[in-house]
Amino acid sequence: MLLSLLILIPLFSVLVLNLPPLLRRAKVSFYCALCFTLAQIALVFFCVFNPQSIVVNPFGSLLELDLSADSISFVVLLSIGITGFITLLVAKYFICEQQNEHNFVSVLFLALAGLNGIVLTSDIFTLYVFLEIAAAASFVLIVINRKKNALEAAFKYIVLSILATTMMLSSIALFLFIAGNTHFASIRAAFNYSSHDFLLILASGLFICGAFIKAGVVPFHGWLPEAYSESPAPVTVFLAGIVTKTLGIYTLIRIVNSVFGFLPAINNLLLFAGAVTITLGALGALAQNDFKRILAYSSISQIGYIVLALGSGTALGLSAALFHFFNHSIFKALLFVNSAATEAQTKTRNVEAMGGLQAKMPATAFTSVIASLSAAGVPPLAGFWSKLMIVIALVASGHPLYALVAVLASVLTLAYLLSLQRRVFFGTLNADCAQVVEARAGLVFAAVLLALITVGAGVFFPFVLNTFILPIEKIFAG
Amino acid sequence: MNSEIARLFWSFSPFIIMLFIIGLYCIFVTFNLIRVLVGVEVLMKAATLLVIVAGAATGHIALAQVIVVTLIVIEVVVITIAAGVVIGIWRHNNSLDTRKIRQINDEGISDE
Repeated sequence: MLLSLLILIPLFSVLVLNLPPLLRRAKVSFYCALCFTLAQIALVFFCVFNPQSIVVNPFGSLLELDLSADSISFVVLLSIGITGFITLLVAKYFICEQQNEHNFVSVLFLALAGLNGIVLTSDIFTLYVFLEIAAAASFVLIVINRKKNALEAAFKYIVLSILATTMMLSSIALFLFIAGNTHFASIRAAFNYSSHDFLLILASGLFICGAFIKAGVVPFHGWLPEAYSESPAPVTVFLAGIVTKTLGIYTLIRIVNSVFGFLPAINNLLLFAGAVTITLGALGALAQNDFKRILAYSSISQIGYIVLALGSGTALGLSAALFHFFNHSIFKALLFVNSAATEAQTKTRNVEAMGGLQAKMPATAFTSVIASLSAAGVPPLAGFWSKLMIVIALVASGHPLYALVAVLASVLTLAYLLSLQRRVFFGTLNADCAQVVEARAGLVFAAVLLALITVGAGVFFPFVLNTFILPIEKIFAG
Repeated sequence: MNSEIARLFWSFSPFIIMLFIIGLYCIFVTFNLIRVLVGVEVLMKAATLLVIVAGAATGHIALAQVIVVTLIVIEVVVITIAAGVVIGIWRHNNSLDTRKIRQINDEGISDE
């Protein structure tokens, strides 16, 4: 199938939807976007089951991009499709004005084009261009309601993001100098023959630093809690579910696997950064009172798991990282949908002002328990399998100490998520919440859908493992 | 990779490093949001100069030109969005001074 359509369709949709006859038809653009995300999910499944039919770029002369797709791309494309779909479902209730809804969908299309481009490209400069498209679209999404706090959070995010891209750009320029080309394969070749050892280390370090800022890895996580908690609910789902992860983590995985190779120095850096991120993120989450901030710190901690898995430097570690990537985007999107539902009903994000919502919002409470248990790694949910794979990969590669950190931090995860559950959904009903009713049908539908995916991916783990995860081991480039 | 190319590259590096330091200094020292953007611009210019030097030193001038033109476009887009955000902050606070904005926020919290 024509994978380059995943970039072209969103770009053309933005153009067509903003032509005069269709302008301000929020409904048309909304359903276009919904159809596109569903088509993307279907396309990924089709490609996974019919690998011989993949034609990445049939418009070779028209669209001169180096595109390629492999098993890593499919997992990420699937996450993008699912999270995009959920974002649109949530947006229906939170982006109210017609004109704003139209703008939201247009910018979301741009972000989707950027994200799909990042996933499909095999040239480091093209990667940078798509990175900026996705990042610029996400800046606009954060401030789409023009709220004061969102503007300030977005400014912080923009400045740090530009710092990150400047680092990446400098490293791309150094690679251009060393390899004479920006294609992944030629840079990888340059690692073997080049005599510029110092420049290679500098360039790799700069690029990894840039990816760390984009992903919110400690100590570069300052912007993330604010940006997540101040943006509108559907944007938070989109940012936490896929944007920061594709911009930071996918880029890191792709570059380490296809360009740098798993050198011992890079592995140690990733392991150390991962372990610190897991611990500090979890401890940060314990100290918060704001529903969305707890989830944002939890995101930082879970991103640490992905970095840690990547740092094990084995084929199993790589596939565990990708599986956790998928799981995290599902259960974190689910938790943010739940936070959107409670925020819409109780008009507050302070967990102290909630309590006993279980009786009033049974579906939201139940799905959030599933997501929390999956995040903490309780069998048979999907999160258990990916954490198990991470721990096995770490032990097998001779890092038992880091495996211990992963297991212990998993207990911390359970602690802060269960404390969150207790304060929001269990216990006696808070007097302020007596009038609360269950969230709107679309939000409940989104939450139940994500919960089913989490349970399904856990129960049918052998199927998921064989179709999506094990093929990744084949493209491991140790 | 002969020494001629390397020498050309290294002879430019002091200017690039200087631009980087100016940009970072500007971002970290100032309290004015617009000046932060100016610092960011200087940083981007340093990176652009690095691309040009890398292209010229290795003889891939065409590739470097393509990259630099694309970069300029991206830079304009990002800075436009950032400037839009700064305008939004100005409309809410009537100030571009980060100290004053923080003060307003703190007072806002104590009022509640």
